[in-house]
Formats: sequence, structure tokens, C-alpha cells
Amino acid sequence: MAEDLDNLIICKKCRTLHRKIDLPAKKVARCAVCGHKLYSDVEGAFAKAVSYSITSLILFIVANLFPIIDVYVKSNHSQLTIPSMISTLFSEEFYVVGSIVLVVVVIAPLSVIFSYLALWFLTYFKLSKSLAKHIISFLMVSRSWAMVDIFAVSILVALVKLFGYAQINYGVSAIALALFVMVDLLFLKSIKPVELWTYFSRVYYER
Amino acid sequence: MRDKYIRCPYCESVNENTDGVVYCRNCRNRISGRKEINLHTAWAMLITAMVFYVIANTYPILVFDKFGSISQNTIIGGVIALWDEGSYPIAVIIFLASVFVPLLKFFLILYILTNYKKPQKGSKRIDQAKLYHITEVIGPWSMIDVFVVSILATVVHFGTVKITAGIGATAFVLMVFFTMLSAMAIDIRLMKEDSSGD
Repeated sequence: MAEDLDNLIICKKCRTLHRKIDLPAKKVARCAVCGHKLYSDVEGAFAKAVSYSITSLILFIVANLFPIIDVYVKSNHSQLTIPSMISTLFSEEFYVVGSIVLVVVVIAPLSVIFSYLALWFLTYFKLSKSLAKHIISFLMVSRSWAMVDIFAVSILVALVKLFGYAQINYGVSAIALALFVMVDLLFLKSIKPVELWTYFSRVYYER
Repeated sequence: MRDKYIRCPYCESVNENTDGVVYCRNCRNRISGRKEINLHTAWAMLITAMVFYVIANTYPILVFDKFGSISQNTIIGGVIALWDEGSYPIAVIIFLASVFVPLLKFFLILYILTNYKKPQKGSKRIDQAKLYHITEVIGPWSMIDVFVVSILATVVHFGTVKITAGIGATAFVLMVFFTMLSAMAIDIRLMKEDSSGD
């Protein structure tokens, strides 16, 4: 029975039941009713997510180390970096806002990256099956709390508010952050849970 | 009266839909608990979020200290100020993200919670699942205003001119948090019951 259920999939958007088929490389399976993407070629999706997670780790470190924007108001100068933003919130005693910003902008994205790397390590050497299972579950939860893309849009909105009063220069991290968001949306967030689980069962059960 | 199969929201695997609590056969997460408890949790989270929404909109989200004269901005005040300055697209984005989207989420969750008892068939059932899908996708975008306030509070921090976050910001963050929890507490079985039982 369990074997049979593994061959089925329910569309996330409209909840129609489908039977899974093996896909050739670079092909995508879509829902017959609403057209929502169900899954794609599994091996390719996982390999891409892992390799791009290394890219995004480097980009993320750069985005955190250097200023995103430099603001000049007359003789005053200030910089925006992600750590300085969080420390400002904490030093002004906005602990709730500070903690949630810390989680959604730093901790959750890092958890996603390290989960992919750990998962690759475990599946490559076929180590601890139960740990790999937990990592996939953890990955899915942390992915829904990672909001760097929304943060990047917020920077643009904040710039519009500042344009009238200040001179603004873009820092090194602005580019790193923009690239991080692109990689994140295209490769790390686009992989479906079912693709990870299919890959998982292929590695550990050789199905 | 119910579907034969149920989709695990964590790992997307297909499970048999039995009475009572259902644990995913693949990832062992709980897919569905006792219906009454889920319903009460979703209601409790929703009401909490609504209270925080009122607080977030009445108290200032941003405090602007300019040479000692302090002006305070509420969310709506900020939107109106942007509109007056002529930044229409940004005013619309902030309005949608901070005022409209949370309200939309409240109404969608209310709709699902009040309609779950009626058996749904065919297209109407698909619509409800789609509505839920939309609330999941747009929900996090409400965070824009909180991020903007945090960014402004960091960069506008000079001796005589200073921006700090207001009480409204804390209430707003908690509102987003509880709305997400409320949406998560909604049991997928609450809205997918139908009489065809495909």
C-alpha cells in the first residue's frame, strides 16, 4: 500500500490527485487541472540546489560584511549593514522586532543553506537516514521563514523615502544581496519538497 | 464525506485519510489533529492577530525626532505622506502590504473557518483551496513596513535628526506572526471535505 501511495501526488494549489511518472532531464510535470508545477527532474533539481547553496553562502557572507547603502545628510554619514540594523533595534530595546528580523533575515536563510550542504554530505556518503529525514523537514520549515527577498524590496522602498533628504551611494553588499535574492528564488526556494523526498528514497531505498 | 487521500503539507507525500489524528507515513509530522482543537487554535490566533492589527494601526510605527521636535507616523499616516510627496507606486505598495494584505488574510481565514461545515463540491472546493494557497503566498509580504522602519531607524541616526521604531512596529510584527500561525493551524481537512469523496 505504501508503495502505491508513493506513486501518487496531490496538487498543492487545487488538490487534484495525480499519478507520478518518471521525467526525463529538464522536464517539468504540471497539474492537469490548474497548471501548477508538481515536480521536475529530481536529480537535476537537487544537484542545482546544492551547488547554488555554496554560491549563496558566499554571497550572503559578503552581503553581511559590507555596507548595503551609504547615506550622506549634509556633513553626516551613516551606513546600512544587516548586523548594524539588528544591533540598532536591540540597543533601542525593540527586542521583539529585533529578534524576528534576526530570524527571518539571517538565521532562517543560513539554516536553509547549511541544510542543503548537510543533506548533500549525508546522501553522498549514504550516512544516517533518520538525520537526513529530520534535515529535510527542518529545511522546509526554515524556508518558509526566510524573507531576504522581501527585505531587499524593503530597501528600495526605504530609498524612495530617503531620496528627498539625503545623498545615497550603493555599497558592495547591494550587488551581493541582489544576486543572493536571485539565486535564492531561482534555485533554493524553487525545489519542491516532493523532489527532495524522491531523491531521498532513491538514495536510501534505491527505488 | 471525506477525501480518501490527504496531502502532507511538509513533505507532499500522499497519505490515507482516516478518522482522528493523521501522522504522515513518510516524515512523521502531524498532518491533521482533532478537528475541534485545530479550529479553536486557528480562531485564537486569528483574534490575537486582529487585536495586534488594531494596535499596530493606532500607535505610531515610526518616530521622527528632528532637532528636538518629534513627529510620529502611523502606517496610514506614512502612506498619506508618500502619496502627497508624489511617490504613488510606493504609496500603493505600502498600502497593499501593510493595510490591505493583513485584512485580506483575516477575511480569507474567517471565510474558511466559518464555511468549513458546509459540504463543498467541484469548482467551489477548488476555489477555497486556491484562496488558502494565495494567503500562504502573500502573507510574509506584510513584513515590508517593519523592514523599512528598521532600515530607516539604522541609517537616520544622527545627533540632531533621528528615526526610531514605534510601539506600532512591535504590534505589527506580532500581528504578522500570529496571522501566519493562524493560517498554519487551519487543518487542510477543514476545507477539503466534500461529498464526492474522489
